[in-house]
Amino acid sequence: MNEDCLKLTTYFGEHQRVGRELLSDALHDVYQRHGLEAAVLLRGTEGFGLRHTLHTQRLLTLSEDLPLVSVAVDTREKVEGALPEAAAIVGKGLVTLERARMLTGRVGPVTLPQELAEATKLTVYCGRAERSDGAPAYQALIRLLHDRGIAGATAFLGVDGMRHGARRRARFFSRNEDVPLMIVSVGDGEAIAAVLPEVAALVPRPLLTLERVQVCKRDGVVLSEPRALPETDDAGLAVWQKLMVYAGEQARHGRHSLYIALIRRLREEGAAGATALRGIWGYSGDHEPRGETLLSPRRTVPVVTVLVDRPERMRRWWRIVDELTDEAGLVTSELVPAFRAVGPELSSGGLDLAAT
Amino acid sequence: MSGPASWIGLALLGGAGAVARFALDSRVGRRTATAFPLGTFVVNVSGSFALGVLSAAALGSTTLFLLGTGLLGSYTTFSTWMFESEQLLGDREYVLAGANLVLGAVAGLALAFAGWKLGGAL
Repeated sequence: MNEDCLKLTTYFGEHQRVGRELLSDALHDVYQRHGLEAAVLLRGTEGFGLRHTLHTQRLLTLSEDLPLVSVAVDTREKVEGALPEAAAIVGKGLVTLERARMLTGRVGPVTLPQELAEATKLTVYCGRAERSDGAPAYQALIRLLHDRGIAGATAFLGVDGMRHGARRRARFFSRNEDVPLMIVSVGDGEAIAAVLPEVAALVPRPLLTLERVQVCKRDGVVLSEPRALPETDDAGLAVWQKLMVYAGEQARHGRHSLYIALIRRLREEGAAGATALRGIWGYSGDHEPRGETLLSPRRTVPVVTVLVDRPERMRRWWRIVDELTDEAGLVTSELVPAFRAVGPELSSGGLDLAAT
Repeated sequence: MSGPASWIGLALLGGAGAVARFALDSRVGRRTATAFPLGTFVVNVSGSFALGVLSAAALGSTTLFLLGTGLLGSYTTFSTWMFESEQLLGDREYVLAGANLVLGAVAGLALAFAGWKLGGAL
């Protein structure tokens, strides 16, 4: 286990360009030049940023310029090597750095450090084409997590990215078998640690990361209020906070889809931004893992809504999230030690890691 | 009328209709930002009204053809109405999906009728 890894996440718009090139392409070109171990570019299904312009796949006219989220992971040294170039080309948008522990290759029994024991976020990076016993590896993996009682897991399909330092990009006229895929799972630290060797054995050349996470709410029950984070670390570097709401297919607020209600309220109340991502396969709680099927008219996969802000402002957003997740949903809180947001007339944060 | 002149007229008016739809739909959609696709509804209903007026008003057949097929043909959108209803069903917004289909049809029909009456009176 490599304890000192970083996750570089970038939130921006599909239309953004660097010169004549699309920002999404340029960004992954940077990751390719630096040979980053893993990167996944995800297309959001709905969201807004600092300008509060709504983009959503649901309404045709508002579906141009959908939000994109790019996640890249490697050792601290490699990520810090790529960071200046990546940060320089992201004009408007949000860049965050988070700490992660990375596991590669064969994984033996794992003893988790104290801070991960209570709850852990496990992320597995693999390819869509990878198979295990005749079934897609990501489905086998999610089945395994489900059978071991992990609270929930969702697979997100990338459209571009890196796998083991090589570029993997989806194309329009292609079967796109080898595009990168990311499986995010949150659950009890001990239970996740116990299943890690089996998870790693399901994927050829596995790449897993573990992150510290706090489970705040599950199926309408508050487990713990998001930890009140300090505004800065001891050296005065700003600390940020990330809330994620995993809305299973059953998640509603009243009669409405939880993610639609969430994005709407957060936008009305003036949050700095929020992005919803739709998975392709997954489960939460006791529900059976599943994905979209050809004949089912309704969508049966979880949607994850992400928002990042200063801890002091996050208290306000938490009250909204708490109100809307009265029936369902899994809410987690994470600490973000470096954050930079750039928008019209606004630029805040910096990309030096706060020590927390 | 047929031939290149009418095609060019259709293309120009069709383009203008599409731009008008985009401008109105995105403005309404962003302002309301509800789960209900109000922008498409407004566009379709107003287009039905306009077509009612135009077809009842004593216009030349060429003018009606150009405005009805070109301008309003691209201004209103059946496919988006259906697509967004399907999206609502996918999100299990059954009430909104039903309301979108029924209201769109009823209001569209009523406004086309009202437009027809108004156009005839002009």
